[in-house]
Amino acid sequence: MGNAQSGLPPLGGPGDDKNKDDKDKDKKKKWEPPLPTRVGKKKRRGPDATSKLPAVYPTTRCRLKLLKMERIKDYLLMEEEFVQNQEQLKPQEEKAQEERIRVDDLRGSPMGVGTLEEIIDDDHAIVSSSTGPEYYVSILSFVDKDLLEPGCSILLHHKAMSVVGVLQDDTDPMVSVMKLEKAPTESYADIGGLEQQIQEIKESVELPLTHPELYEEMGIKPPKGVILYGVPGTGKTLLAKAVANQTSATFLRVVGSELIQKYLGDGPKLVRELFRVAEEHAPSIVFIDEIDAIGTKRYDSNSGGEREIQRTMLELLNQLDGFDSRGDVKVIMATNRIESLDPALIRPGRIDRKIEFPLPDVKTKRRIFNIHTGRMTLAGDVDLEEFVMSKDDLSGADIKAICTEAGLLALRERRMKVIAEDFRKAREKVLYRKTEGTPEGLYL
Amino acid sequence: MARDTVKNVTPAEEPSSKDKQKAKEENEAKTDGEKKDEVEELSEEDLQLKNELEMLVERLKEGDVNLHRPALESLRTLIRTSTSSMTSVPKPLKFLRSHYVTITEIYQNWPPGDNKLFLADILSVLAMTYDEGKRESLKYRLQGSREDPGSWGHEYVRHLSTEIGQEYVSRTEKELSTDDLMALALEVVPFFLKHNAEADAVDLLLELEAIDQLPQYVDKDTYARVCLYMVSCVNLLVPPDDIQFLRTAHQIYRQHDKYTEAVSLAIRLGDHDLIKEDFEAAGHIDALLQKQIAFQLGRQQIDIPEIEDEDLKEILSNSHLSKHFIALAKELDVLEPKTPEDIYKSHLENIRPGFTSGSVDSARQNLASTFVNAFVNAGFAKDKLISIEDGTTWIYKNKDHGMLSAAASIGMIMLWDVDLGLSHVDKYLYSSEDHIQAGALLAIGLINTGVRNENDPAFALLSEHIEKPKAMMRISAIVGLGMAYSGSHREDVQELLSPFISDTTLNMEIASLAALSLGLVFVGSCHGDITSTILQTMMERDESQLKETWGRFMGLGLALLYLGKQDAAEATLETLKAIEHPIGKQVRILVEICSYAGTGNVLKIQDMLHACNDHLDKEKEDDLHQAFAVLGVALIAIGEDIGAEMALRTFNHLMHYGEPVIRRAVPLALGLLCASNPLLNVLETLSKYSHDNDADVAINAIFAMGLVGAGTNNARLAQMLRQLASYYHKEPNCLFMVRISQGLLHMGKGTISINPYHSDRQLMSPVAIAGLLATLVAFTDTKTFILGRNHWFLYYLVTAMYPRFLITLDEDLNSLPVTVRVGQAVDVVGQAGRPKTITGFQTHSTPVLLAHSERAELATEEYISLSHVLEGFVLLRKNPDFMEEDKE
Repeated sequence: MGNAQSGLPPLGGPGDDKNKDDKDKDKKKKWEPPLPTRVGKKKRRGPDATSKLPAVYPTTRCRLKLLKMERIKDYLLMEEEFVQNQEQLKPQEEKAQEERIRVDDLRGSPMGVGTLEEIIDDDHAIVSSSTGPEYYVSILSFVDKDLLEPGCSILLHHKAMSVVGVLQDDTDPMVSVMKLEKAPTESYADIGGLEQQIQEIKESVELPLTHPELYEEMGIKPPKGVILYGVPGTGKTLLAKAVANQTSATFLRVVGSELIQKYLGDGPKLVRELFRVAEEHAPSIVFIDEIDAIGTKRYDSNSGGEREIQRTMLELLNQLDGFDSRGDVKVIMATNRIESLDPALIRPGRIDRKIEFPLPDVKTKRRIFNIHTGRMTLAGDVDLEEFVMSKDDLSGADIKAICTEAGLLALRERRMKVIAEDFRKAREKVLYRKTEGTPEGLYL
Repeated sequence: MARDTVKNVTPAEEPSSKDKQKAKEENEAKTDGEKKDEVEELSEEDLQLKNELEMLVERLKEGDVNLHRPALESLRTLIRTSTSSMTSVPKPLKFLRSHYVTITEIYQNWPPGDNKLFLADILSVLAMTYDEGKRESLKYRLQGSREDPGSWGHEYVRHLSTEIGQEYVSRTEKELSTDDLMALALEVVPFFLKHNAEADAVDLLLELEAIDQLPQYVDKDTYARVCLYMVSCVNLLVPPDDIQFLRTAHQIYRQHDKYTEAVSLAIRLGDHDLIKEDFEAAGHIDALLQKQIAFQLGRQQIDIPEIEDEDLKEILSNSHLSKHFIALAKELDVLEPKTPEDIYKSHLENIRPGFTSGSVDSARQNLASTFVNAFVNAGFAKDKLISIEDGTTWIYKNKDHGMLSAAASIGMIMLWDVDLGLSHVDKYLYSSEDHIQAGALLAIGLINTGVRNENDPAFALLSEHIEKPKAMMRISAIVGLGMAYSGSHREDVQELLSPFISDTTLNMEIASLAALSLGLVFVGSCHGDITSTILQTMMERDESQLKETWGRFMGLGLALLYLGKQDAAEATLETLKAIEHPIGKQVRILVEICSYAGTGNVLKIQDMLHACNDHLDKEKEDDLHQAFAVLGVALIAIGEDIGAEMALRTFNHLMHYGEPVIRRAVPLALGLLCASNPLLNVLETLSKYSHDNDADVAINAIFAMGLVGAGTNNARLAQMLRQLASYYHKEPNCLFMVRISQGLLHMGKGTISINPYHSDRQLMSPVAIAGLLATLVAFTDTKTFILGRNHWFLYYLVTAMYPRFLITLDEDLNSLPVTVRVGQAVDVVGQAGRPKTITGFQTHSTPVLLAHSERAELATEEYISLSHVLEGFVLLRKNPDFMEEDKE
């Protein structure tokens, strides 16, 4: 699809000029001007500057903003009216169709796919095809020069090998996998407790995307990202899932270890791609789970692999708070070893909020039990209070394990109900496994 | 996320610390995700709160009147102290929802009394969340106890003000009384002002059409923000609201003794009496302040003839301009004159050997050099071609009309310096060559542009020559008068020139230029006599004369009279409909665009686009009005940022679909829209057009590039123009235009701007617009005017030229160097706190140059500026509180 779009310029001058060229062919061809060559500076941000809509300030809700928006709307309506009238008076579609066919003829088929190695001047370039050799070829005039940059994929004419189109969609497939297509089923309702944490994450991740004006009114910049930390099983990933479930923003999720790549430079590149995709699809939320995989403190290391991992982290640092401002991209990180992270990674400005996930207290434990036993058939003698009030260090995951284990025990005896005894056994089992290695009752 | 966004509740006043803690507990116990039907999931605190609320409602239901009061009290405390996350409904309101209907019933049954009023208050707050467009919140508010609405929190007040607005609209439709609404609104407004929500206060009063009530509530902490907001709204409001806003803001500034701000608004209003009043009032408090205002008025070329004081008179007449400009040049080290070759830098052009300028006619090149020399050394009173000992040799290097322009270029070089200039011109006045003599007359006009001299040399010298039999002299004298007295509204000029218009035996050229000169002199004055004279002659002259290409300037002269006057042009437009000749249509468009210049009026722009709709056959119909319509889009949109940006898009479409006449006008319109403001995207667009297959489009685009870059020394544009020079080296017309553009780009060696907006882009100089328009209209027929014999039309740009400097003066009007920060201006309307007004600044010592979108602020505390905008001439006064920091 990329080639079809790049073939014909969307609107405006160049197309027009060509028609004229046809009309007065006898006029001798002019020597084309050496336009300033812009090589390798592909305009990545948004639509063309000439067709971009002006930004509206202030962002607070007020009449001034409304008036400005209405002004833009008025202009757009006028444009629409004008273009419609013109199309009626002078239909352009057939001409466009004709031109399209001509361009397709020029391109020929099949087209080869190659890589642009170097742009020599405005209409010549060195390309390499997949078969190996490099060619010095011409760039056809209808190719959008703005899209050409060294290293991009291009379409080549099958015989002359001249550049006839650009393949645009060059997102790293690794990144597109990270995009969350289907929202997870867990919602905030599936979280027992953690009210404080939910509120904090909402304030710093969701609200800036939906209600930026609240922050503007207060005169503060919304936080860029948060880090969730706490002992295992306290619901960090669960909360992130709930955020993904709730939000309409693009949600990119990645595990820290995914960013470690086989080849040198691939890791940082992936990070860059990740944030580029996030910005293209803004507003978006990037969730990096198990950040300690790449985010550990830097130290002198001789192993190339170690250093590569550190470089990946440095790229991450830059993306979080580097020279280019990230627009509506929020970052959530999760780890259970915050103390081992590099201090630069979690400094304010990169990660503005650190949200701790403590072990659940009695009240929360009760709610978690309620959530997990909600769909189980319990016998009358089960008194969850017994487990709730016990002094064991239970995390959310432990509670879930206890409930599941109890269910399994009941299943083993082919009972349709889970009795109190099952729960007791299950707790023993879970707690035993948890404290494995450190013998109970041994005082040092 | 819809369920999060139901309502936005933030308490305006901090609850006491104890309440806060309680509120926090409630808050913690709350889960946003939980649904209302899942009652069993309520936490203990919530349950407790809910029960408590229910109990209170029960108690209200009961007959025991003694219990009502405490119950209401505790309901109130519960509601007021609740906080929650930013986007959800507070707990108590949520729980009371189911009881809302019950409470309204209770309310209906209660007898009137304190308790009933109290209940009405609470109902009013409750209604805020359950309202479905019935405006019950307002209803109960009006029935309630009328205690301060602010005590219920910010969100409540906001909600209330929305309902007031809606109710007002519906009541005025039914023509009911709105006094109670107004009273309530006036209670709400001070609250808004106190709580940093000046936008809400202004919006509410605007909706109630009572903006004039505002000044009484504004105090010294809030007025700046309020006025800033109001002034930025003005461009987007429909009349008469915009005038109301300006007047109210003016009143507020006056209340707080901010005279320079007030005067700039008065200038914007175009109210001469108001300006005078401000000026005199300022004189009563502070003579120095009055001087500052005089500088402001001088910049806009407004005269106050009643002034006696010599100093003020001098300031108002701008006669100091030349002195300070040359001082600036000295400071910036650009006094040394530059030759055209210094500008062309042709050694950087890559012309292939063998093609060197053999085919290009040298007269053209010399003419181009004349203009370049004039523009580049404008105002410096020194150059290397004309003003030197044997300057005549250069004049004789030009042919015929070229000599006229060459002689006139002295005027450009001596710009603003009347005495020195006249002595230089003098010898050419008695030249035997007619062209030179005519050029000298034009030069006199140029020298006097924008400055006034007591002796009035221009009038004396030019009126003498205006009766000469030679048409050439007459024309030069007429044009010179127009430039010298542009914007001065002098009646004697009218008396002198009117006969030239009404005399139908004179040819069209003289009559039209006389009309144009009068248009310049009486710009924006709606002068009745001139209007009727021009209309009369248009009706009387026969078709062949009107068809002449000069006719457009007669129309322009008429149009300029109504510059920015909006509706005042109605009658003239009606009369023009009676003229059946195509010129009637052209002039109608011209008058219309001029009268709405700088207003951003969308409806007018729509009219202009309609005019561009048709594809006319040039053979059969006249299509010139379409070109004016295109210029009109830019002229109307100029000065309003959103509109200007959107107009760029519109031009794109016009270029795509338009007939040649429209396509030729588009680059000119772009040039007008971004004069002296080289935006990158505009430059790129123009650069594309400059290679257009239609040579006229290319020529206009090249000139537009010059306009856009005028006086900026933009390196990128310079590079583009050099490339164009080598691209067009074989086409004399294009090359000529490239040279002119290069000259414009380095106008005043990069110190002079032609942007018609000044004073922080707030004020439009009508004279500047008029000059730009005259030049651009000449470009709608390049063959006759610019590329033909009348290239002196380029000199009309002089009225728009003004140094883009900032000069700081001490109390005795001597230059006083201080450090200032110069950076990109930031739009700070509606931002909280004290946001920075400039970004990416650099610190310089005055005098400095300011680009179009730049702003300056003082970097030292040692002085206080008397002007609110640091631009042009600024008077400084020692800060009495200044303490020198300890130096080691």
